[in-house]
Amino acid sequence: MMKVTNLTHYYNKDKALENINLEIKSGEFIAIIGESGSGKSTLLSILSTLLKPTSGDIVYENINYKDIKNIDDFRKNNIGFIFQFHYLINYLSVKENINLANEKASKEEIFDLLKLLGIENLIDKYPNEISGGQRQRVAIARALINNPKIIFADEPTGNLDSKNSLNVFELFKTFANRGTTIIVATHDKSLAELANKIYEVKDGKIE
Amino acid sequence: MIAFAFKALMANKLKTILIYLSLIFSIVSIFLISSISNGIITMYSSMLKSDGDIIITQAKISDTFFSNVNINLTEQINKIQGVIESSALIVGASPVEKLPIVAVYGASSNRFKNYELVSGNYPNKNEVIVGKSIYDQLVNKKEIQIANKTFKISGIFKSEIGFENGGVVLTINDAGEIFNKSASMIMVNTALNSNVENIINDIKVINDQIDAKSTQNFVDNYNQFKIIKTSSNVISFIAFSMGLLGIVSLMSITINQRKSEFGIKRALGISTSKIVYSIMTESFILGLTSFISAFVISHIVLFSIKNISSLQGYVNGEISNELAFYIFITSIFMAIFGSIIPALNAAKTDPVELIQGNKI
Repeated sequence: MMKVTNLTHYYNKDKALENINLEIKSGEFIAIIGESGSGKSTLLSILSTLLKPTSGDIVYENINYKDIKNIDDFRKNNIGFIFQFHYLINYLSVKENINLANEKASKEEIFDLLKLLGIENLIDKYPNEISGGQRQRVAIARALINNPKIIFADEPTGNLDSKNSLNVFELFKTFANRGTTIIVATHDKSLAELANKIYEVKDGKIE
Repeated sequence: MIAFAFKALMANKLKTILIYLSLIFSIVSIFLISSISNGIITMYSSMLKSDGDIIITQAKISDTFFSNVNINLTEQINKIQGVIESSALIVGASPVEKLPIVAVYGASSNRFKNYELVSGNYPNKNEVIVGKSIYDQLVNKKEIQIANKTFKISGIFKSEIGFENGGVVLTINDAGEIFNKSASMIMVNTALNSNVENIINDIKVINDQIDAKSTQNFVDNYNQFKIIKTSSNVISFIAFSMGLLGIVSLMSITINQRKSEFGIKRALGISTSKIVYSIMTESFILGLTSFISAFVISHIVLFSIKNISSLQGYVNGEISNELAFYIFITSIFMAIFGSIIPALNAAKTDPVELIQGNKI
């Protein structure tokens, strides 16, 4: 699914990641843990094509990221992203926020997806009309609407209580079981235990 | 896309209203400056055009106000083949009662027919006819004092040309005594199908102290019109630049506040060109609505100005289709160009900043 070889990244002269090697299989649920500033968010940004590494290779299903011509299209068709803050657009309804990721998705498709997440009654609501946990579920729906092969989530439970956090991780597990690769960065070791595999990033290296 | 653009504009109401207002102010300024200066030019040129095909003024004089042409030349001009009639006019200005400047026209008797009488008779010696607009403002409706002479009001006329409707007409001899000249200009009517250029050449031969031009040529090259047009263009350009700067500043602030939105869009795989296009759509909507509002406001302002009696009808702007079209293009350009730089910057917003937890 994804192979990372000798990945190194610098911010100016500061080394953020050093010689990372990873192999991620399709349908795996991976947790990347580490302290704040350890480099896990940088790793997630690079793996999700949002940041170009200083050196090293990332191969997605036999395609080297360097050979991808339209990175926006590649990201749209293959990758879903969930942020720590839900980052929904306040002036758009739940449906319209999800349509941002896929304008062609019909109301029925969006309704079915929201039903899967247990929030189908929120389809016409606006972000400021729903709770934090519900917003994060909408953000998950937005990441899933394109049926991405990989979902990256950076501290997706950072602003949620323990019950909602557990619900989100349970959802990830469900989607991983359906074949979607899930890569989550978190500092919560107890939640990380729910993943199939845990990588710890420390001082830019995987231990 | 358009529905999303409307929602985005409504989500930032205060900024949208500020941009909308700065666009309206700029567009209204351009409309008013251009239409009023065009109105002045149109009024004066209509006045000249209604009087003949050829205009004769004193040679090498920059303004008709200072021109002095011998009225007796009309006798020789009338004999030229192709000339139907020639008439003379003195153009002057004088304070009347409390009004600081009133246009005063000394006209040869064959020109009186150009002034449509509402009441009374055309003037004889020591008499004047007054435009409807100025008549309404006179305290003494029977007599009028111009320079140091008193004239009896023999009639009232009405004219669509503001400069005439707010003016006073008297015999050319009376005007000549006041302004100490024979005639400011001579207008020549020519027969249909006659060769105007040949007639102009024949007129020039009569006297080397005069300059003859076709009316169109005169209007096109009249220095005062050039000055008015240049001033109008300069002021319009300043209004345009001020509006543009205002829009760029406000758009930059607005777009900067929406950086996280653009970062999310990029992380979702929306291309930079689509993001720029969405901002351009918002700008287009703003430009279009501002233009429509400014167009309506300008019409109301011009109508009000036209009916302010103290302005004597001298300020009379009209928005032509051509002017409206150019200002429409300017409005859209101003809105889109004003937002293109902030839009391009926004489209480059790095989603990594969001992912790494830097809430913008």
